[in-house]
Amino acid sequence: MKIAARFYIAAILAFLYLPILVMMAMGFNESPLYELPFSFSTRWYQALAGNAPLVNSGINSIWIAVATSIIATVLGTMASVALSRRTFRGKTLLQLMLLPPIAIPWLITGTAMLVFFFYSGIGRGLHALLIGHVALAIPYVVLVVGTGFQTVRADLEEAAMSLGSTPVHAFFSITLPLLYPSILGAALFAFAVSLDQFVISYFLATPGFSTLPVQIYSAIRKGFTPEINAISTILLVGSMAVIVIFALFAKPGGVSDKR
Amino acid sequence: MPLDPANSTQLREPGGSRKPLPPWASTAALLVPTYGWLTLAVFLPLCTMFAFSFLTATPMGKAPIVFTFKQYRAFIDQPYLLGVAWQSLLMGFWTTFFCAVLGFFAALALVRATEGKVRETLLILVLLPFWTNGLVRVFSWTMVLREGGFLDYAIHSVWPGAGSVGFLYTRQAVVVGLVHGYLPYMILTCYIALVTIDNTIVEAASSLGARWWTILWKILLPMAAPGLISGSVLIFVPVIGSFMEPRILGGRVGVTMGTVIEDQFTQAFNWPLGAALSFTMLAVVLGIFATFSGVLRRGTAL
Amino acid sequence: MTNVEVRSIAKNYGSVPVLTDISTDFTQGSFTSLLGPSGSGKTTLLRIIAGFIIPDQGNVAIGGNDVTRMPVWARNIGMVFQSYALFPHMTVNENVAFGLARRGIKGEESRKQVERALELVRLPGFGDRKPKQLSGGQQQRVALARAIVTKPSVLLLDEPLSALDRRLRQEMQVELIRIQKESGLTTIFVTHDQEEALTLSDKVAILDRGRIVQIGAPTEVYERPKTRFAAEFLGDTNFLTGTVVAGGIRLANGSTVAVDAPLPATGSEATVAVRPEKIVIRDVARGGKDTDRSNRVSATISSSVYAGTALTYEAAFDGLSFKIFAQNSDARPHSVGDVVELTWSPLHTVPLEAAA
Ligand SMILES: Nc1ncnc2c1ncn2[C@@H]1O[C@H](COP(=O)(O)OP(=O)(O)OP(=O)(O)O)[C@@H](O)[C@H]1O
Ligand SMILES: [Mg+2]
Repeated sequence: MKIAARFYIAAILAFLYLPILVMMAMGFNESPLYELPFSFSTRWYQALAGNAPLVNSGINSIWIAVATSIIATVLGTMASVALSRRTFRGKTLLQLMLLPPIAIPWLITGTAMLVFFFYSGIGRGLHALLIGHVALAIPYVVLVVGTGFQTVRADLEEAAMSLGSTPVHAFFSITLPLLYPSILGAALFAFAVSLDQFVISYFLATPGFSTLPVQIYSAIRKGFTPEINAISTILLVGSMAVIVIFALFAKPGGVSDKR
Repeated sequence: MPLDPANSTQLREPGGSRKPLPPWASTAALLVPTYGWLTLAVFLPLCTMFAFSFLTATPMGKAPIVFTFKQYRAFIDQPYLLGVAWQSLLMGFWTTFFCAVLGFFAALALVRATEGKVRETLLILVLLPFWTNGLVRVFSWTMVLREGGFLDYAIHSVWPGAGSVGFLYTRQAVVVGLVHGYLPYMILTCYIALVTIDNTIVEAASSLGARWWTILWKILLPMAAPGLISGSVLIFVPVIGSFMEPRILGGRVGVTMGTVIEDQFTQAFNWPLGAALSFTMLAVVLGIFATFSGVLRRGTAL
Repeated sequence: MTNVEVRSIAKNYGSVPVLTDISTDFTQGSFTSLLGPSGSGKTTLLRIIAGFIIPDQGNVAIGGNDVTRMPVWARNIGMVFQSYALFPHMTVNENVAFGLARRGIKGEESRKQVERALELVRLPGFGDRKPKQLSGGQQQRVALARAIVTKPSVLLLDEPLSALDRRLRQEMQVELIRIQKESGLTTIFVTHDQEEALTLSDKVAILDRGRIVQIGAPTEVYERPKTRFAAEFLGDTNFLTGTVVAGGIRLANGSTVAVDAPLPATGSEATVAVRPEKIVIRDVARGGKDTDRSNRVSATISSSVYAGTALTYEAAFDGLSFKIFAQNSDARPHSVGDVVELTWSPLHTVPLEAAA
């Protein structure tokens, strides 16, 4: 029974990883038509360097992810402070308002942004992408930081105030250091959400300004070349790295425990 | 150490000097940026699009704006849409079905056959692909499924005479890609439900002579039900709205509600129709969420 | 000298009154316990004094200054929380130095004061540990050191010992008194453990549903409870109700109980309380020796519970039931069915105020 179960898990993992590994391998295959047998080459990675649209969109992606991560983390953490530590009417409603960006299919959110941004004069391009990405990332930040708040007792801030700290000083000297792993986790999460975001970017990108996933999509639709494999591999490895770092940091108390 | 209270040291920041903000003001100051942003980027757009779904045509230039309900009659006026909707539902159903079967047993295997560090590692391995780019993963399947792709190559290497089994650009290919994309979700929700099952219950049942399928049917499946249901909802909803997977893996046969809506916005420029179709879909989605909201809350509470 | 003063404090949550018209003084250097059942408003009152809650009505003054509208951080208080609330990311030294730093005391001076505070709570040499590396009792001492090192105007403690086990709690009670006396801090201590309140305090304030029903020295509130609630809350009590006559009350069965205290007008109804340990059992059959206690009734032992050093009897008397605590010093304990005489002094017969 146990052996069968382990075999089954191995099969599931193979199903999940095999295509990705095949795709990665093909990026190192000499043949432009993915012909086998395999012969190792880095020519597609070299070709990437000369592919200005891809390289530029990759740089755009990283910048947007960085900016999204910073903005969403700051705003989301602020909201999380209010939602976790203050009592006020309408709190439940505000918490529910975090769900639509997560639960509504991105296709609908993305097209709605397209329509609204077009008619409100916001338009498309970098700033539109940034507005969209931050909006998608904020709910995740609020949720991750909010979970972190549950591990930081509220009476610590009260203790600090009883010792003479203003609420602001109490937040920065007590809560923030204790919350730091969650905030860092949230920032990485927001980074990953933005870096991998395709659907919304697809509707908000312009021919002159797009992100890596959008470029990859249009490349795929034009026809397969191993260059797509190469750039995909880079994107994949990049976002996996971010997530692995996130997993290491977001463990409750993961950082603060290490002394 | 006699502490002399009369001699007590003064606080550096006597409260009188700078009046603190009233609590409601600071609370509002903390919340306004986030909710302002969400309003600008999500809620206003959704409202605008809702208004759009009642227009006859995309407003352009000086053309008069005319309101109508006709966009919501699209399924009657354009019967081919019914077929597309049916295909989308089928696609959602099969994807959810395969995810449920594969995911339930994977979660079961994780819970019953592994423990400790190994289980933790396997769980992370299962969930890791979920956080990688969906587009890239869909693209990966084209490498496997295309004629002369990896699948063909693997089969030919053991049975050289076989014909091509590659099935890229079929509905099956779309389902395979979608299952690959959403399976980790189901494994996670089922795992959360199953991991709480006390081992002693299963042992007690088998000591009472219950066969394994009785245990499965009478104990494990009912207890995993919240996980299965929430997993199913969380998969079904995005799948019926997917457009990139059908486009890449389905090619010409990959016409779904998702691709039709996308077309209205990027090709046909019939934004009102796209909006109406979107909101019809959203109504279905919200209906599903509302029906299962209780289970969802329990099933996804980590 | 009055140090902390609260005047006509009232606080409602919605339409629910949590505190009603609380007025009292806390003398410089005194140790006062706020005692009351759960939900009686003890924490609320303490947090109003601390400044975490602004009362709907009334004033709080510390050291003669009205601080009602002053935020917590400007009040110069010391507070110990039930959960200790030590900052987990700081060492013991950093925790204790936190309040000093807020007062601009840094470097060598801060180090010296921290060291002295840790000595006072008997934790010298623990300064470099993190709170997690300390036992519950040790964490409590650090919390105390952190609260008193800043020489606050008032020390506030909200059930600081309730998370400790019984033995440790008694040990900490002794420590707490010693530290309080040595530091001379005006201390307000919330508890719902009556024994703890009686042991520790100079004064006990009994709260019931948001009101102070009685405040006074432990012996006073225990020996002379003012109301039925106060009498019942501070241990077991027997109640007798009757009509007021000269020098006592007449019970329904006609016998008279002498009371050595002012009573309401003759002819009105009154209730008196008698503590179970004040009653002496005289075994009529065995001819136990008579005492000068002038209140006596004959009763029948209806139950007897043996607890080593002491015995608890119940004796039935004309449809009433009396509880009696007796030291285990009699040659032979009384047994159920024995007819006995219960005697007690009029001094221990406490008239109660009519229920509010
Ligand atoms: N923030 C609040 N909102 C509404 N009601 C409250 C709030 N805080 C306290 N209360 C109510 O006020 C009453 C007094 O609460 P308080 O915490 O002062 O009681 P307590 O005497 O400290 O009780 P305990 O011994 O259980 O700690 C309770 O009935 C409580 O339900
Ligand atoms: Mg309390």
